[in-house]
Amino acid sequence: MKKYVLKRVITSIFTLLAILLVLFILMQLMPGSPFNDEKLNDDQRTALYVKYGLDQPIVVQFFKYVGNMFKGDLGVSYNISKNTPISQLIQTRLPISIKIGGAAVGIGAVIGLLLGLIAALKHDTIIDSLCTVISVIGVSVPSYVFALALSYTFGFKLRWFPMLFSQQQMFSSSVLPSVSLSMFTMASIARFTRSEMLEVLGSDYMLLAESKGISGAALIFRHALRNALIPIITVLAPLIVDLMTGSLVVEKIFAIPGVGSLLVNAIQSNDYNVVISLSFIYSAMYIGIMLVVDILYGVIDPRIRLAKKGD
Amino acid sequence: MKKTKAFLAVALASAMVAGLAGCGSDAAADANAGTAAASSAGEASGAASGSSEMNVMIETPVESLDPQQATDGTSFEVIANYTDGLMQMDADGQAVNALCDHYELSDDGCTYTFYIREDANWSNGTPVTAADFVFAWQRAVDPAVASEYAYMMSDIGQIKNAAEIIAGDMDKSELGVAALDDKTLQVELNVPVSYFLSLLYFPTYYPVNEEFYNSCGDTFATSPETTLSNGAFILDSYEPAATAFHLSKNEDYYDADNVSLSGLSYQVIQDSQQALMSYQTGALDITLVNGEQVDQVKDDSEFMAIGAGYLWYVSPNIAGVPELANLNIRMALTMAINRESITTDVLKDGSEPTYTAVPMDFAAGPDGSDFSEDQTKYSDVCAYDTDAAADYWAKGLEELGITELTLDMVVDADDAPQKVAQVLKEQWETTLPGLTVNLTVEPKKQRVQDMQDGNFELGLTRWGPDYADPMTYLGMWITDNSNNYGLWSNSEYDAIIAECTTGELCTDAEGRWERLYDAEELVMNDAVIFPLYTQCNAMMLSSKVTGVEFHPVALNRVYKNAVKSE
Amino acid sequence: MTRTKAVNPIERVSAYTPEAADFKLKDNAGRLELDENFAAQSFWKDVFIRYFRKASAVIGLLLIVFITFLAIVGPGMNEYTYSGQELSQKNFAPRIKALEKLGIFDGSEKMSTTTGTKTVNYYIEKGLDDVEYWFGSDNFGRDIWTRTWSGARVSLIIAVAAAVIDMVIGMSYGLISGYFGGKVDMVMQRILEIANGIPRLVIVTLLLLVLQPGMITIIFALMLTEWVGMSRIARAEMLKLKEQEFVLASRTLGAGSFFIIFREVLPNIIGPIITQVMFSIPTAIFTEAFLSFVGLGIPVPQCSLGSLISEGFNSFTTHPYQIIPPIVVMALLMLSFNLVADGLREALDPKMKEA
Repeated sequence: MKKYVLKRVITSIFTLLAILLVLFILMQLMPGSPFNDEKLNDDQRTALYVKYGLDQPIVVQFFKYVGNMFKGDLGVSYNISKNTPISQLIQTRLPISIKIGGAAVGIGAVIGLLLGLIAALKHDTIIDSLCTVISVIGVSVPSYVFALALSYTFGFKLRWFPMLFSQQQMFSSSVLPSVSLSMFTMASIARFTRSEMLEVLGSDYMLLAESKGISGAALIFRHALRNALIPIITVLAPLIVDLMTGSLVVEKIFAIPGVGSLLVNAIQSNDYNVVISLSFIYSAMYIGIMLVVDILYGVIDPRIRLAKKGD
Repeated sequence: MKKTKAFLAVALASAMVAGLAGCGSDAAADANAGTAAASSAGEASGAASGSSEMNVMIETPVESLDPQQATDGTSFEVIANYTDGLMQMDADGQAVNALCDHYELSDDGCTYTFYIREDANWSNGTPVTAADFVFAWQRAVDPAVASEYAYMMSDIGQIKNAAEIIAGDMDKSELGVAALDDKTLQVELNVPVSYFLSLLYFPTYYPVNEEFYNSCGDTFATSPETTLSNGAFILDSYEPAATAFHLSKNEDYYDADNVSLSGLSYQVIQDSQQALMSYQTGALDITLVNGEQVDQVKDDSEFMAIGAGYLWYVSPNIAGVPELANLNIRMALTMAINRESITTDVLKDGSEPTYTAVPMDFAAGPDGSDFSEDQTKYSDVCAYDTDAAADYWAKGLEELGITELTLDMVVDADDAPQKVAQVLKEQWETTLPGLTVNLTVEPKKQRVQDMQDGNFELGLTRWGPDYADPMTYLGMWITDNSNNYGLWSNSEYDAIIAECTTGELCTDAEGRWERLYDAEELVMNDAVIFPLYTQCNAMMLSSKVTGVEFHPVALNRVYKNAVKSE
Repeated sequence: MTRTKAVNPIERVSAYTPEAADFKLKDNAGRLELDENFAAQSFWKDVFIRYFRKASAVIGLLLIVFITFLAIVGPGMNEYTYSGQELSQKNFAPRIKALEKLGIFDGSEKMSTTTGTKTVNYYIEKGLDDVEYWFGSDNFGRDIWTRTWSGARVSLIIAVAAAVIDMVIGMSYGLISGYFGGKVDMVMQRILEIANGIPRLVIVTLLLLVLQPGMITIIFALMLTEWVGMSRIARAEMLKLKEQEFVLASRTLGAGSFFIIFREVLPNIIGPIITQVMFSIPTAIFTEAFLSFVGLGIPVPQCSLGSLISEGFNSFTTHPYQIIPPIVVMALLMLSFNLVADGLREALDPKMKEA
């Protein structure tokens, strides 16, 4: 197991470097340039390219970037926040996105799991249908519509929560964005839990467990849920990364200084360094979580022996 | 072993449950920390409380607080809140003395000598000196700084040697500005520039203290600690691209007695519906209103439309598309546009239909009247007339020997341009038989690049004035200008513009004005562009607040003289 | 298939051709029931029967048929076109003349303004007695009914494309990677991580900037990004099952890898696979909507359910009726997809036969 983990960690590092290279190549393919203001003339544009080292061959740029990255320097933004070190931008923004996204994942996973469990246990009853309807609404209404509806109802009409995010009231102003972001997670987790549980509940070992006299909560949580967890974790993992790296629209609506809107703005204004750095952080989180999930597979389900072959 | 694994599985499931509580308590702790920090920061948190603090909504975050690097209106507005230039704008947009106590102009109109106020100080106590201006202006033209607005010094300001320094042919120390002593600044121009004083309130011309700049290293103007104020307010909370930040009144400001607001609290809100709701709850004193919400507020006494100066127009690719090289086709296209309908039915934000190449209400002539006041001047070549459009169209098609035409129009991926483009498409296709217009929606940067590369057929674009003179527009259509997207070229036009910029007319205000009309007429007669409308911003301004000054050029909103009553 | 035939004793029974005399003598009804329960039909016929026994599944299918039908004929049901603007008739509330007497759909709407709420009826204000917009008109004066159904058309195409991509690319990739394990898995998973580790938005935006925006490009973009989730599910399920006895048994009997993957394992994991397909459909529809939101989706003035939702979103607080039709159609579509998926899952899953 240890050997497997070590091997995975090393390959992950190489994967990340490969991603970084792909990102650099993609940036080259990107049409437009970061300095495409109507008010710039060609001389100035050339001067700006020289200033930021964009006139150098891509390989040089790549190695420079990697070298600087190990020193903790991610370069500066070209136009969305001129000349600001990107590490500074990310330092303040990423924690906010992680908090709000993390809360959304938490809310979504817990409620989704419960909904799915109930639906599976009460299979083919009114309660089951109700859970289906809730999760259908969860997936078919986009989060920004939830966001505005919540903001209108609880922020504007009832005034229970602030409508806009503020650092001073971090908790209360995070409630509405987290809840609106959690809907999709909740819905997908609920559906997956339901379908997995149905399968598990119909299996022979559940019959065996039941005949051994295990019953009630112990049966559901220790035997059934555990077996249903693998696919659920598989679904949840990428959602965690997506949510924690921010959502453009929800950030826009609640005026959250997160990284989601930063990435979109950066792509649209060709702010290469910001795109690369944010994408890279996204990749690192993604690959990290995938690694954890792969290791968890083995922990949760002893039948899966990942390291069997090839080691 | 098996037991541990079973335990782990349960632990994982419960960790999911605990995740909620965990995140909750973290956030709560932060909230406490946040409050503590806020109370120590004093007024920073007192957003909506009853002080004479104004809550301002902006649509986009600040891009840069470095006066020589900033290029967008939001950044300019914030920089100007805490920095004064030699001149500032008065309520009517005229340049009035700010840091400048008085000035002298040489007889040839080429040398200005500015005397700086004795009581002008930076917020760290050091006096504002002529050297601060020299340092800042040299930064603006320094190729190493690569300021995007360097041309404000060279092409527009005509400061001696500026163009050569930008091109890298001279050292920045040769710029035609000199500190004669601590409080005396001398500026040499290549030619007399009639609007030079009105450039001085443009943030690119603002001073920067060299010593302070050097002490900040690379982080100049990225936090309250790395900014220095000499203006009405002091920045006291800010981080790059922040969605909320705050300024307080500068008690040491030389004109502090006339500043009534105790502070400005900025909030970035990108969603217009949220912004309006926040305004209604009283959390904002001023907010922009999007076209869709105008129906909700149009009867409100707090609703108003403020000119933004931008001219929106369609630029046909005259050199690149043979069909658009045909004047009749261009005339048909411009005559088929119902500009009235675009502004009243679609935009609804108070934008005004425009039938001239220079937009309304930003450039006042020698007699004080607006350059584009008369919108019917070119009504025979630019008006809404479907019959005339159809005639031109038929004639044009005949000359080209075709019956059908498909044109592509590139459009920014923003809300308003997409709306306008959809209406244009519909109007053109209904009025001009055989025409199909396809819309290509692109992010703005790419749209600009495509147009500069000549890789377009029709382009919906806009231009904001940099200074209060028609030349900011008319200068665009000279041969080889990078913003002359259609590559239209007319030697007579080039001659007129040269004459008015550097030639004999630059000292003759009235004569110059007349010639500028001649130039505009050439553009209009040739349908080089199809002007659409002059942009206005619809906004709500609380009735408690008076004295906010709005300008279409340079500084869009000035709060120095604003008063908020209880 | 050959193997099943060889060992199936009932096959021989059904091959028996009844003679006329049989029907006279035997209790036909009882015999039929026996047939249905124990035998005989091919796998798909079995699935078919089990599917149609479930009422909710049938309702779901009917709903999909109904929505597809409206998506085809809906836009032609009135005189409006999806792009035709009538700026003098913009933001009209829904009006259906047949229902006017009931006080609903009469074209009036309550508008809350900063100066108070007021009820307006533009049809009456402008004296347009003969005009009706069943779902109202949008801020260009375009008919929302027509746009909703032509939007549904686009979204259905995207949904089908996403499902096919998921099934073909994602599932095979995941199953193969999971089954072979070891080095194959390692390499395949790293490729996947590189492809998926880059934020989807970056890839999709780039693609759309380089290619001409339009349906084909959107589908191509989805193809590059949508298969990943499915492949992970398929792999996880494969890892769970591949060490089980029936796989070993099949292998011992000499079955090839691909036979095991697609014939033995696949039917056993059809449940989660179908659930995943169901979720990739809204993800695909919303990816397209998100692209519309940043201006890279289906080119205006064409529309999809997603782009209609984001358009309606801008009028959410002023004219809420504009966002309701696309959201309701979307939700119904999702509901019916879910019901169908549920039905299919139960019908297809061999383990659930007795349920």
